[in-house]
Amino acid sequence: MRAVLTLAGKDLRNLLTSPMFYVISGLCSVLWTYAYLRAFLSFAERTRAFMQPGMEGGMNLQREVFLMHISQINLLYVFVVPALTMRLLAEEKRFRTFDLLLTSPITSTHIALGKFLAGMGAVTALTAISFIYPLATRGVAEFPMAPLLAAYAGVFLVSGAYVAVGLFASSLTESVMLSVILGLIFNISLWFISQGMAGDASPMVAAVLEYLSLGQHFLGFIMGSVKLASVVFLCSVIGLFVFLTQRVVESARWR
Amino acid sequence: MIEIKNLCKNYGDRPAIRNLNFSVKKGEVVGFLGPNGAGKSTTMKIITGYMAPSSGEVRVAGFDVFESPLEVKRRIGYLPETPPVYSDMYVLDYLRFVANLKGVPRERVESAAAGAIEKTGLGDVRKRMIGNLSKGYRQRVGLAQALVSDPEILILDEPTVGLDPKQMAEIRQLIRQLKGQHTIVLSTHILPEVQASCEKVIIINAGQIVAEDSLSGLSKRMSGGGHSVTVKVLRNQDAVAKSLASVGGVLKVRNTGNFIELECDGSETTIEKVAAHVVQSGAGLIELQVQSLALEDIFIKLTSKELTH
Ligand SMILES: Nc1ncnc2c1ncn2[C@@H]1O[C@H](COP(=O)(O)OP(=O)(O)O)[C@@H](O)[C@H]1O
Ligand SMILES: [Mg+2]
Repeated sequence: MRAVLTLAGKDLRNLLTSPMFYVISGLCSVLWTYAYLRAFLSFAERTRAFMQPGMEGGMNLQREVFLMHISQINLLYVFVVPALTMRLLAEEKRFRTFDLLLTSPITSTHIALGKFLAGMGAVTALTAISFIYPLATRGVAEFPMAPLLAAYAGVFLVSGAYVAVGLFASSLTESVMLSVILGLIFNISLWFISQGMAGDASPMVAAVLEYLSLGQHFLGFIMGSVKLASVVFLCSVIGLFVFLTQRVVESARWR
Repeated sequence: MIEIKNLCKNYGDRPAIRNLNFSVKKGEVVGFLGPNGAGKSTTMKIITGYMAPSSGEVRVAGFDVFESPLEVKRRIGYLPETPPVYSDMYVLDYLRFVANLKGVPRERVESAAAGAIEKTGLGDVRKRMIGNLSKGYRQRVGLAQALVSDPEILILDEPTVGLDPKQMAEIRQLIRQLKGQHTIVLSTHILPEVQASCEKVIIINAGQIVAEDSLSGLSKRMSGGGHSVTVKVLRNQDAVAKSLASVGGVLKVRNTGNFIELECDGSETTIEKVAAHVVQSGAGLIELQVQSLALEDIFIKLTSKELTH
């Protein structure tokens, strides 16, 4: 446990102080601010025109503003998370600091977990920034908090999946460029795993594919419901890719 | 402390080391000497548990590297060929990080980092970013990293490679200071390094051990206790050279023109006979110099002999 935290602490500090993180969080903030304000102002306009303020406004806010905000977070993360995780293992290998990790009294599992936690910490910091927007909205409008928190639980788990995928990509290569590209490809495949074949499949295959679809599970969260099946699915994706990373790290000892 | 039995490692189907057997006792300082590509780094990586051998057995402090890798790694400080330092970390932070990674008890992390900094003379740069340090200092940080957990065993892979002569001398001085506190195995492809720091030498070539002995023992054994004798005379040099070949105990005579070079067996009577012979011949002996074969010659002899077959 201590080894995991030591590693995670070092890499998290490294990530949070890197120029890359500032560029990314700056970029995300600009995009979020623009899109969120637009959506919120147009929503306010419409509420004033068609409805009495108060009453059902809360639920609509979730559907019309938060949903957009959160889909946008997700879309950005597909691209941004691989850039945050690219260095985690690729640079250790490139600069031969991997030798230190492999000859320290820690296991490959410690290494994979520590690196995952570091990535998770950095992405969660980004998610915290994105949470400021709906939170600030509280100042001007009433809305129920539970659906929003459910949606953010979804963001948290999905970003965990991207981190695990990005970490796996980083474990495969010494090149950070290749690491980003692989992470991106994996993320996109994860999204489209069910989409491609959904049309001409038998009902059973379709059901399986639906279960395997990241989009379906994520949609559930955004709509404000936390389903056990979805939590299990996303945790399995995270577990799978952390495990694959552990295997790759371990295999370095056998070459 | 370290026992190695029938150790083999192939990269693909190319053997890097073949059937190594040796052991290192507690407190010894052993030089692992061999030309580039001999398999020094490979052997060290296996001892440290960095990678698995193709076959054979390695025990460190009684633990099998294979079966209890963590126990072994806890006892070893390892400086790889490239010091494993993060260029964007501060020296002190880095050493704290390594101490934590090596499982130094929490309350001792600070003093361990401070101790390593003191031993390696990094006090002036402890607050500096590692990436901004000179190569010599980075090498010291690498050494401090190996020392920080105060391990029983230090494995140093070519600790002075790529340094300038002054930095080299400083690192050697450091290693000498560590003698007695740790069991040290250090690899090198240059002989003076071994002569400067080690008590015992293992010479490895093309993946095989070609000699293993103490520094002085090796000198003696390899030359068969033999000497090379240089003789300078004023007159009749060619005739003297020819007649010297018949003196008992003289193995080889070479007439260089300026002086005569003899290879003799180890006994002193042979030298006495050679001296008497030259004096009796009346050629005017002006110089007679006896040298035991230098380690350098032995090293070259051993490693080039292996290469020819
Ligand atoms: N990762 C590797 N893959 C393939 N061959 C290697 C690898 N590392 C070393 N070798 C080969 O193994 C031999 C021994 O290398 P090494 O142990 O690094 O020698 P040394 O450290 O004595 O210079 C060399 O012929 C080298 O080319
Ligand atoms: Mg080497």
